[in-house]
Amino acid sequence: MLTKYLTAVSTAFSPFNARSGKTARNFLALLPPNARSRMAIDVKMFARADVDKPASLSLKFKDGKEMKLDLEKLKLKDIQVEVDRHSRLLKRQEELAG
Amino acid sequence: MPPRLRVAPEQLRNVRPQYVCWQCRHASLASATTPAPPIEQTVQATSPIARYPPSQPPSHKPAEFRKTQLHRQYQSLLRSSPLIVIFQHNNIKATEWAGIRRELTAALNKVDQDVAKEGNNAYTGSAIKLSVVQTGIFTSALRVVEFWEPKFEPESPAIHPSDPKTRSSASVEDTKGKVNDPIFTHGLSRHAWWQAKNKSKTARHGLEPLLSGPLSLLTMPEVSPQHLKAALSILAPSPQSPAPKRRANPGYYEKPVQDGLQKLMLLGARVEGKAFDVEGARWVGSIEGGLSGLRAQLVAMLSGLGAQLTNTLEAASRNLYITVESRRGMLEEEQKGKGGGSNGNDETAAEKAAEKAA
Repeated sequence: MLTKYLTAVSTAFSPFNARSGKTARNFLALLPPNARSRMAIDVKMFARADVDKPASLSLKFKDGKEMKLDLEKLKLKDIQVEVDRHSRLLKRQEELAG
Repeated sequence: MPPRLRVAPEQLRNVRPQYVCWQCRHASLASATTPAPPIEQTVQATSPIARYPPSQPPSHKPAEFRKTQLHRQYQSLLRSSPLIVIFQHNNIKATEWAGIRRELTAALNKVDQDVAKEGNNAYTGSAIKLSVVQTGIFTSALRVVEFWEPKFEPESPAIHPSDPKTRSSASVEDTKGKVNDPIFTHGLSRHAWWQAKNKSKTARHGLEPLLSGPLSLLTMPEVSPQHLKAALSILAPSPQSPAPKRRANPGYYEKPVQDGLQKLMLLGARVEGKAFDVEGARWVGSIEGGLSGLRAQLVAMLSGLGAQLTNTLEAASRNLYITVESRRGMLEEEQKGKGGGSNGNDETAAEKAAEKAA
């Protein structure tokens, strides 16, 4: 996954939700070790009682685009595809400009 | 020229004549010396042999694989640590791990010293480890630990394979060379795996959703809230268990430690076999004074109750005693005022007063 063009990641989820919690956690695990020096990462975890509270994952890109991903429907692969689609665009623009 | 010594050829020869096997030299003279079989063997066959030594029972997956050994290790870890805190680690570097572990050990040592001053010399803190686990293998190990009740003391079979009385035609466990023999009651056996797999289809241990992604465990050999609080104040600071101040512990604020801690997420805990979430883990850490503190509270409550009860029961007789004593004092003063008297009079007066009070 291309994480170079991300500037902000904010997510709220319950780790005890087998679907959205897993997806959100695995997305966070994909970010590189020095991610926090390059992007603002905001993680909020719900308690066990709020398992069914809707989880959210919103991303911001360098060009200002904001992406809100539905963790109930999308799985990790789908999120990767979505992020990569926009990141490739930014990469191409960067290559053409410089 | 030195004088020549005369040596007799008989003296040079070995005293004992060498043994010569004439039978071997003449093959035609050799006779077969195979002993006859014992009479028991001619009547009945030899006893069956156990295929596996008791120390090396067969396992579901090949025992020499790393994953098998990790599975065994995780099972033992789960059985021996009643308190396990589960963290997710997102790409933490080796230097950051080293820093985190250093801070954790220092904090736990401090708790150990504090606890030792109070007289508890268990030094639990030295046995607390933060270790990265392989998630899939850990999941399987947890399943076996939760859903499989091992018979640690198997009933000795009626027919023992090494007993000479056992006939070869007898069906003895462990001699068939099958892995799924129910006689094998260790955690790696196929029986254990099968039972755990079957039960996990219906039963739940509560930690299933947490078991994915990169996990690390903080394992404690006993439930010690003081140690848990110290560990959480380092690994996952919160208002209940705040991080150490910069002046008190400058090492904690080094860049690698802080970078690593930002990537370490507290997910939940397993306390005495029960699943807890983040709040639950913090609550266990917030029990004041630990288990001994709880016990002390209980003892204080019970002894207070006892003291109240004895006070109530004693009150009547004590009141009586006080009344009698005061009356006696009064009478003594009266006697003194009269200018003398006998002890007998005093006693009778006191008795009268007691009767009055009663």
